[in-house]
Amino acid sequence: MANLSLVADSLQAHPPSGAWFVRLRRKGYQRVLVIQTQINLYYFWEKRWFFIAMGIGAVMLSLPLPDGLSRDGMIVLTMSAVATILFITEPVPLPTVALLIVVGEILLLGIDSTIVAKSLMTDSVLFIMGSLMLAVAIVKQKLDKRIAWLIVRLTGTKTSHVCFGIAVVSGLLASFVGEHTVAAMMLPVGITLIRLTSDEPARVRNLAAVILLSICYGCSIAGIGTPSGGARNAIMIGYWKDFFYDAGDPATYRYLIDYLKWMIYAYPIFLIQLPFVTMLLLMTFKPEYSDLTRAVARLRIQVREEGPMKPSDWLTVFFFLMILITWIFFSSEIGMGTVAVLGASAFLIAALVRWEDMNAGVNWGVVLLYAAAISLGLEMKETGAAAWIAESLLDLLTPIGATSGFGLWVSVSGLTTLVTNTMSNGAAVAMLGPIVLKLAVAAEESPLIIGFITSVSSAFAYLTVVGTPACTIVYSSGYLKTVDFLKAGFRMVLVSAVLMLLAAWLYWPWLAR
Amino acid sequence: MAEADYDDWNAEDTVDHAALDTLEWRRSRFRVLVCIDGSDSAYDGLRFAAQVGKHEECDIVLLNVRPFDQGLRTGGLQVRLARENMLNWGLEVPGVEQLKKGFDLLLEHGHSAQEWDSRHAHSKKWGDPVGDSKIEFRSDANKRIVLKLKVAPDVASGILDQYELGPYNLVIMGRPSRWQGEFRSFFDAGVVQKVAMLSVCSTLVTRDYAPGRGFLVCTDGSAQSRNAAKRAAVLASFCNETVTLLSVAPIPEKVEKAERLVARTKLIIEGSGVPVAETRVRVGEPIETIIEEGKDFSMIVVSDSGKKRLTRFLAASVAFGVMGRAENSVLNVR
Repeated sequence: MANLSLVADSLQAHPPSGAWFVRLRRKGYQRVLVIQTQINLYYFWEKRWFFIAMGIGAVMLSLPLPDGLSRDGMIVLTMSAVATILFITEPVPLPTVALLIVVGEILLLGIDSTIVAKSLMTDSVLFIMGSLMLAVAIVKQKLDKRIAWLIVRLTGTKTSHVCFGIAVVSGLLASFVGEHTVAAMMLPVGITLIRLTSDEPARVRNLAAVILLSICYGCSIAGIGTPSGGARNAIMIGYWKDFFYDAGDPATYRYLIDYLKWMIYAYPIFLIQLPFVTMLLLMTFKPEYSDLTRAVARLRIQVREEGPMKPSDWLTVFFFLMILITWIFFSSEIGMGTVAVLGASAFLIAALVRWEDMNAGVNWGVVLLYAAAISLGLEMKETGAAAWIAESLLDLLTPIGATSGFGLWVSVSGLTTLVTNTMSNGAAVAMLGPIVLKLAVAAEESPLIIGFITSVSSAFAYLTVVGTPACTIVYSSGYLKTVDFLKAGFRMVLVSAVLMLLAAWLYWPWLAR
Repeated sequence: MAEADYDDWNAEDTVDHAALDTLEWRRSRFRVLVCIDGSDSAYDGLRFAAQVGKHEECDIVLLNVRPFDQGLRTGGLQVRLARENMLNWGLEVPGVEQLKKGFDLLLEHGHSAQEWDSRHAHSKKWGDPVGDSKIEFRSDANKRIVLKLKVAPDVASGILDQYELGPYNLVIMGRPSRWQGEFRSFFDAGVVQKVAMLSVCSTLVTRDYAPGRGFLVCTDGSAQSRNAAKRAAVLASFCNETVTLLSVAPIPEKVEKAERLVARTKLIIEGSGVPVAETRVRVGEPIETIIEEGKDFSMIVVSDSGKKRLTRFLAASVAFGVMGRAENSVLNVR
């Protein structure tokens, strides 16, 4: 507006002369100039993907309906496509996408707002929320030095042993408390080891890569181990229940996967992957130092300064074990989300963590995002969009003979790996879940196996920094380059995929009988 | 001037006279922005800046931009939690180390900044707990060396924002990790490419900078390019480098014209008191020829004649082609 008044002032100072049409033209020209200055073209450039996505959405909605897809199905499909583009390109803050999904469900699909609101909060979402609060509570306990002490005590000083120790301990912890928690805790341990070895970053490039990627991949592969390892697992469990469970039909009870059942399916795969992590990393980056005696000795001194375990530390360990036991033995009755929320309250009641810290440490947008993504996923099932895509996909797969068994598994795993490397793995499972489950139905495969393949493959985001939470946190240390992830990541993807397919072939069918 | 010219964090949104004076004063200086990302080629760029920056009227600003932490990518746990944890262990924010190393490098090159007056400033930006911070060293003659750590939504916009805070004459960046074609850059451009495209001032991309082998100044005869050649020649004399002029004729029939252009540009350069060591005229595809000819020089100097994106899109810009594909340092004069 400042510009407009400026023009007005200048007009008063120099009253326009000449014929009325000259005046009019001049005035119009000035108006155009003012408008030009007020349009921020760079805004459109920055947000170009938002407009491209909206354009694609508009085109999709105006296309004629394909065979076998209802009007509502088309709308849901469009919303998913637009959401996927926005997830990948992030032109707007991601929680905005969640809000848009909610608005879209009400305005485009015409669902009652109360029903949409109800569909946002499920046990899975409660579980994701509770786990995040638990994660902050655990990181805040500063147990990292104890863990560091444990690792160097167990492993000695050889680089390969230390790296394996880091991967194992990170993995075991991450499988229960989530990969982001452990990555945040272990990052300083790793960096301290590197810094104590040499002050010159260029001289420990490879060592840094091995140690930090041990943390990162140790956590990533562990995320599949238990439902609390990552949001995606909870999402898949929720989908199985919503898609296949029917209280009146005892045959469908096997689709109710609880904490322990999930562990039986997935934990062995994580354990088998562990040795490969260290092996592949040592092969890819040959560390400059094969012995870390000096660094480990100095780390020991640092850790010893902490003194013995305090009562609050023991209390944390106690809470942690209690939560674990409740998850394993009681979550099938009271729900996993309930346990997570109960655990978070216990930490707050015992004053081990302040609410302010919890509030600042959790990104609540994620909860919103997963809630909306799951809600959209369920709409995909309700409207038949998921089944339609699944059938179309199956038609596509027919020529290459991948409509059942091994071929289908490879395709599903490949598709998931592709998607998960471009967006957060929880979002990938939330978007792909309904499609692959319907695909399993259409191909007459076990939805359990296909579901596991999807949620396990979604952990194969080793290639990019944004893929998994652990990668993002470790990358924030500034010691790694994006190419490091690519270099080691593609081998990891291959090994993990082969191991998972072996499990799908030999182990899971035997369990799912 | 003492307090007034001191950097106000948001010189652009508090329009007071102090800020205006600061900007006015900065315009009178030759200001070099060196973007440090910890890579070797970025430090090469810094070495060049140290060379140029020996002159009294030159200020050097070392910048490290950190994209702010996004909790969503970490599955809902804020990165600041990890960062606080690191601070508890006595580990610093990445970037601090890199800036320190850069500063040491400047000291090695004879900038005795550690004896100068220094000031710190800090501000929270983008809700990030670490925020922006900087240390400014000032000599008695009011020459400055600034170390700045900045957070931004992404690195390229951080660098471009820094330009807005005070006009710079030259932005120096290290080797780009990727450089897309004109079409792909619309959707997905690397940091260096984005800054090179959008920056208002001259940009230098350093790759294995080896001083002492001279500048190859390319000219296409346009008024803009003649002006650019003149400014590049002055810069070359600043760092004791020889100037070699090159003009490339796309077809043999235009050789004569190219020779005329080179001769004219040579006169202009020599008019500003800088000797021209050699002039060359070649025939061939401009981008490839320039890269081939420029291999053995310290630096290739090109000027994009102020082409807008659309024009570049329709007729690929030689300057950008050279910047992206050359094996050694390229200076794009604007």
